[in-house]
Order: sequence, then structure tokens, then C-alpha cells
Amino acid sequence: MLAISNAGVDYAGHIAFEHFTLSVEQGSTVSVLGKSGCGKTSLLYAIAGLTPLAEGAIQIEGGRDSCGIMFQEDRLLPWKRVIDNVLLGLPQSYRTSAEELLELMGLQSVHRKYPHQLSGGMRQRVALARALVRKPRLLLLDEPLASLDEQQREQLQDEIKRYVAAHGITVLLVTHSIREAVYMGSRIIVMTPKGISFSLYNDNYLDEDLRSKDALFQMERVLRQHVRGVPCAI
Amino acid sequence: MRYLKGSLFVLLFWYLSAYLVASPIIPFPHAVFDYLISFDTTGGLHVDLVYSLYRIVVGLGIALSIATPVGMLIGRSRALDSVISPALYLLYPLPKIAFLPVFMVLFGIGDLSKIVLIAVIVFFPAVVSIRDGVRGIPHQYLELARAYRLSPRQMIGDIIWPAVLPRIFSSVRITLGISLSVLFISESYAASHGLGYAIMNSWVMADYVAMYGGIVVLSMLGLSLYAITDSLEHLLVHHGKTA
Repeated sequence: MLAISNAGVDYAGHIAFEHFTLSVEQGSTVSVLGKSGCGKTSLLYAIAGLTPLAEGAIQIEGGRDSCGIMFQEDRLLPWKRVIDNVLLGLPQSYRTSAEELLELMGLQSVHRKYPHQLSGGMRQRVALARALVRKPRLLLLDEPLASLDEQQREQLQDEIKRYVAAHGITVLLVTHSIREAVYMGSRIIVMTPKGISFSLYNDNYLDEDLRSKDALFQMERVLRQHVRGVPCAI
Repeated sequence: MRYLKGSLFVLLFWYLSAYLVASPIIPFPHAVFDYLISFDTTGGLHVDLVYSLYRIVVGLGIALSIATPVGMLIGRSRALDSVISPALYLLYPLPKIAFLPVFMVLFGIGDLSKIVLIAVIVFFPAVVSIRDGVRGIPHQYLELARAYRLSPRQMIGDIIWPAVLPRIFSSVRITLGISLSVLFISESYAASHGLGYAIMNSWVMADYVAMYGGIVVLSMLGLSLYAITDSLEHLLVHHGKTA
């Protein structure tokens, strides 16, 4: 679905990351962990075509039009109603899909409201609906739940997981939260500016009780060490 | 309510001034209002009001319909900005009222010279404000537009226009006062209609009650235009209430 080979991004002499190679299968969720400034967001932006590559290549099945992106901030346009934010740049023929998605996320009563009338969790749900209404085959998530409290965060994690699994959407999730990375990802990678330093497959990621399983805590412990740059065995 | 309080304060000040000065040069407010509500004696103040309203609305309209696309263009294009902005800064500080005789020669002594003068005066602050508004659009929104592959038309309609709309209303509010002053001056010269003409004509005829009648109507015109601007902004701009 997504093939990144020897990619690098350079901001006028400052290397965000380089020599990055990754292959992602259709329907999988890859969580990307790493220290601040290791180039996680730059990687996502390069995949979305928002940042040019200095080296290497990125191939997406279906091209960039099959990508949906959700940013760290909701980026809802304050002058548009909820439904019009979801339909940003789309023809009215998408309206029914947009309404169905909002309903699925429990937002059926806020179609006509403006973003400032919503809570943080609701705003992020609208941003998610905006990314999903385009029926992306590849969903790029840039720490989309970072600003939410734990309860809202877990609720939205479940909603995203359920939706992408049901629709076979491939996900690349950038996050600072190791627990979130493990809970959401079928594969978790630790990124450094020089590429991938560690990679872990999570066979239990579809398990709904994963949050309370020992396996999660064990993977979390190992990954924490790797993010810190102190490798250890699982 | 806020307009009522302000009006009461002005009225009180006016009464006090009329009482203290005790001269026909400052008539009592009730005399002026009596004059205004007695239709027969108002001469043609309502006609003058229509003329002034027409000139100011058309002048503002022309200025904004040119300043909006120009401001958007130079706000988005650094190359255009580097050519147009220096010219704007060169012409902006010039007292445009000094060009009234030139406009009168070029466009005649009728409506057109007055409309052009108002349009030229409003254009400069409006274009600078709209340009700055476009430059100030958060980069996150522009990134969002790129990520969601908005067409240039959608970019203008969905991002740029709504983002600069509050700037346009601010420009109108700022330039309304200047426009009214300019309107008054331009109607004082070689005019046969308009509130400026009516006020100056009454002054020459030493009809101070009629003169103050004209001033009251001019200030009511300004107040109404501000109120209409506020209402339109309330109706069209939603992001002022952003959390």
C-alpha cells in the first residue's frame, strides 16, 4: 500500500530525517514513535505531499488522492458549520456520507453548529469525519488525540480502530504516547533522524481488552527503552 | 441602548453649550429637531441626504471592489507585493483631498468627482488591511487546503475570503469616518446638492438652525452606516467567536 525507500527531508540545510525505508501493507496500522525532532511529523507531511523530499521516493497505491490526513490540532475552519467543515473541498454529492459519518461518531445533533460551540473531543471527531469522508485508503494521523483527556482519547482510539478495521484502511499514526502506539498499531516503529531504529509487530492489536493485558505493558516497557535509545529485548 | 446613552450624553452637552454661549450660533437642540420634523421647512434636506448617501455608498463600493482582489493578490504573491506595496506606501500618505480640484477638472463638478475622491481615500487603508489579513491567515489553514487539494477557486471561497472578511469590515468602519469628512468637504465646493452643500449654504445664509439640522442628519447618516456595517458583520462573520 505504501512504500517509502531511502527517503529524507531537508529544511534548508537542517536534516529532519534521512535514509528512511518502510513498507506498509494494506489494512495495517503502523504507529511511529520517536523523540521530539526525530522527523515523525516531517515524514507524515512528506507522505501527504506537504513537504518535498530531499532524497528517496514515496509510492502510494492509488496516489496521493487516496490519502486522508488528520492533524494534531483539529484545524476546523471557524467560519464553517460542522457539516461544511466535513465537506471541505468536496461536492454536495458527499453530503449523505458526511451525515452518516457524523451520526456514526455521535455528532448527529451538531451538523449546523460552528466549531467554537463544540468540545475538544467533538472537534477532533469532526476532523476525523473530514478525513474519512473522502474514503481514504491511507489515513495519516499526526498525534490527533494529543490534546484530549484520557477518557476522550481512549474513546476516540476505539472509534478509529473499529472504523479502519471495518473498512480496511491503512493507517500511519505518529504519536508520543507509547501506550497509544501499542494499543493502536499492528506494527510499532521507533524512528530516529537516521531511519528506523526498532520495529515491533503487535499480534494482539485487535484484542478489545488489550489495554488490560500484560502483553501491552511488556511491549510498552521495551519500546520506552528503545525510544530513550537504550535497546532491550522483549 | 448603547446608541441611546451616547445620544443622551451628546444632547446634554449640546443643551449646556447652547445655554452657556447664549447666541444664535449654537441653537437649542429642540429648535433644530422642530425644524427637522416640520417637513415644509426642511427645504430639501431629505434630497441632500439621498445625494450624500448615494455618493458615499458608491464610493465605498468602488473602493472595496477594487481593494479586495488587489489586497488578496498581493497578500498571496510576494512578487506582486514587492512591486505594488512600495507604490501604495508612496501614495498612501498623500492628502488625497488636495486632488479634489484635479478630480473636478477630470470628472466634472457632479457626483463622479466626489465618488472618485471617496473611493481613492478609502482604497488605500482597505487594500493594506486586506493584504495584511491574507498574510495573517494561519499557515495551518493553508496547509489544510493543500492537504485536501482545494482548487484555487475553493481556496479563495473557503479559506481566503472568509479569513479576510473581518478585515474588510474593519476597513469600512475605519474609513467611514474619513469618508464622511471628505464627503462634507467635497460637497462644499461647486455643489448644488448633498449634506455638505446644505450645511455650508445654511451657514452662508446665517440660518444656524438649518445648519445644525444638516449636521444632525449627517451624524445620523454616519450612525446608520456604522449600525448597518455592524449588523452585516454580525450576520456574515462567525469566526470572531472562535474559542
